Amino acid sequence: MSLRTFILGLTASFGAAWLAMVVVPYFKMRDLAPIADPAAKSATPIFYPKRTGRVADGAKVYAENGCYLCHTQVVRPTYAGNDLYRPDWGGLKNDADRGDTRRETNAFDFIGENFAQIGTNRMGPDLSNLARRVETEYAVGSDPAAWLYVRLYNPTANPKLWNSTCPPHPFLFEKREVKGNPSKSALPVDVGAGFEVVPGSDARALVSYLLSLKKDHPVPAALDFAPKKKAGDS
Amino acid sequence: MSSVTSTTTDQDALLRAGIDRSLRHPVMFFLTSGAAWLAVSILLGVIASAKTHHPSFLAECAWFTYGRVFPAHMNALIYGWGMQAAFAVIIWLMARLSRKECSAPGTILAAGHVWNLGVALGVMGILGGHGTGMPWMEFPAFAWPVLLISYFAILIWSFIQFRVRPEGHVYISQWYLLGAMIWFPWIFITANTLLHCLPGHPVMGAGINAWFRSALLFLFFVPVAIGTAYYLSPKVTGRPVFSYSLAKLGFWSLAVIAPWAGMQKLAGAPVPYFLPYVGAAATALLFIPTCSAAVNNLRTMMAGPDTLASSPSLRFTAAGLVGLIVLAISAVLLNLPGSTLPVTQFTLSGYGFDILAIYGVFSLIMFGATYFIVPRVTRREWLSRRLIKMHFLFSVYGTIFVAVVALFGGLLQGAGQETWQNAWSNYARPYAVTITLTWGLILFSNVFFFIHLTLMWLRLGRRSSHPTLLVSQHHTSSPHGEEGDIDNAGPGHAHAH
Repeated sequence: MSLRTFILGLTASFGAAWLAMVVVPYFKMRDLAPIADPAAKSATPIFYPKRTGRVADGAKVYAENGCYLCHTQVVRPTYAGNDLYRPDWGGLKNDADRGDTRRETNAFDFIGENFAQIGTNRMGPDLSNLARRVETEYAVGSDPAAWLYVRLYNPTANPKLWNSTCPPHPFLFEKREVKGNPSKSALPVDVGAGFEVVPGSDARALVSYLLSLKKDHPVPAALDFAPKKKAGDS
Repeated sequence: MSSVTSTTTDQDALLRAGIDRSLRHPVMFFLTSGAAWLAVSILLGVIASAKTHHPSFLAECAWFTYGRVFPAHMNALIYGWGMQAAFAVIIWLMARLSRKECSAPGTILAAGHVWNLGVALGVMGILGGHGTGMPWMEFPAFAWPVLLISYFAILIWSFIQFRVRPEGHVYISQWYLLGAMIWFPWIFITANTLLHCLPGHPVMGAGINAWFRSALLFLFFVPVAIGTAYYLSPKVTGRPVFSYSLAKLGFWSLAVIAPWAGMQKLAGAPVPYFLPYVGAAATALLFIPTCSAAVNNLRTMMAGPDTLASSPSLRFTAAGLVGLIVLAISAVLLNLPGSTLPVTQFTLSGYGFDILAIYGVFSLIMFGATYFIVPRVTRREWLSRRLIKMHFLFSVYGTIFVAVVALFGGLLQGAGQETWQNAWSNYARPYAVTITLTWGLILFSNVFFFIHLTLMWLRLGRRSSHPTLLVSQHHTSSPHGEEGDIDNAGPGHAHAH
């Protein structure tokens, strides 16, 4: 076999898969068609989750510090896993206002991110709806951001998480001398008299990002793969 | 060989000696710096693994947080050790099989230094907190063009050698190596340009990344390993390949199947539904090319059981081929969409599979090739049989442990995770403890491998015509045979090659 035939053979065998699996789907999904959402109250009735502010910086901190190695951000449909059955992963089983808000992750949930941190391993829980859980379960009656700061500074400080394998991230925080009044954002940890620990800019960005993780907003009918049954249906 | 006149044999021996001499520095540079990166990577792996069960270990230091050490471990393993070991073996094998001396060892050596610089800056970039967050592509964005350009500067010469070689039969190893040489830049450029330069949909980006990881394993590391095995097993045993048509079938089925694999990691994620399931089917089908190559090579080796027992090259290669069969079986068992795929998708078994492919298959065969190539390019024999035996013992048993624990631990971890009635908990912890201990053993063996290799590079190997074999065959006076005859790679010793 000549080199020419060999390279033609390689190009054909690799190229077919390369086009079908990588290039065409990539450029197709690049221009994902907007989905109409008649229920949306905005001027343009299309489905488009918002992601603004310091959240983008936080996504970068999330990537740089490898959160994606232990946490996933995908709630799989029931044919691909049991994520949706958990009471607080795909939304909330008993949301105070909306009832059962659980749903699978859709392609629009990631708009505005550079790279979807789907994840590779679950040594920690899925984070698709972390902000929802923090607000309604973990930090009831207190500031969700403050709860997350303590959680990031030292995960096992919380007695409920005594066996957490999440690493502490003290390097995202700043230990400094108290001059005048202590900072309002100082963490409730003891680091010696006259000193306090406050979140650094990376910690603030990361917490903004984590508090944006709510992938349970209502979806338009075209994306709703498990429509609510009407009263009377069984 | 008997029909060849002594003049041709002498010319052959001279040609081989010339090729070996022309490649001595590039080959030894890639192997030694690769072995150093391997030791660094395993050390980072031990630290990372220790942190998964003792998260407060080294927690104060940002550079050693788990989320940075683990990517540094994988990237050092892939680009520091894996790619450089492949460079050493490809440039040497392609020169030998094309029967051409290397005309640009200086350029290769310079490009090799640039490659190392790129990897070093990339690893430091990850540890310093500038990782990109895309698995196996965590090096900061400046690194990939540097690596790509030095890749071309290193391997273009092997391609040219192949073009200008004397006409004749193209051996199966050349097919595999040429394929790998062409596939790597194709997948590397595709993944990096799409993810760094042409931002698209973020979930499809994650899909491309999953495809890149699978393609890197099955279109670079696995073909380089199989191509090397197809060189070593007939060469060392002196028997023909068991079935040449099976070898061709193995190559083309790999070429046709492997590019479709990889996106099963995104099952259930919002990408077009066919992508993950075609990926799962292709990964399961990879059983055919991997298993046929492994069986074909093992059958070739079994024609010479005595050589298999005494040759370090063959013993490592055989272990790598057995690893390839285990890889083939787990590619099927981990990717059944109806049962095991949802369970293992987000577990340790992904890591186990990668380590099995990179260490348990590719690296073991590269060690085998190293034990074959280094005495020829340095014209010195390995110093110590015991060091080789230790390296074999710890590497093989270590790999079995890491891979088996991660693969099957991952299944149990996944079963725990999928039991949604129970509250969430980390089910990976007990397996992580085992993995730490085992990486420690592998680190131990590879530090000795690195020292042994460095001594060989410094030309402190034994000056003897008797190769260092694992089984003592003759001469009770010295474990390595008679000393003194140092001209073992020169003319008149064609049978030694």
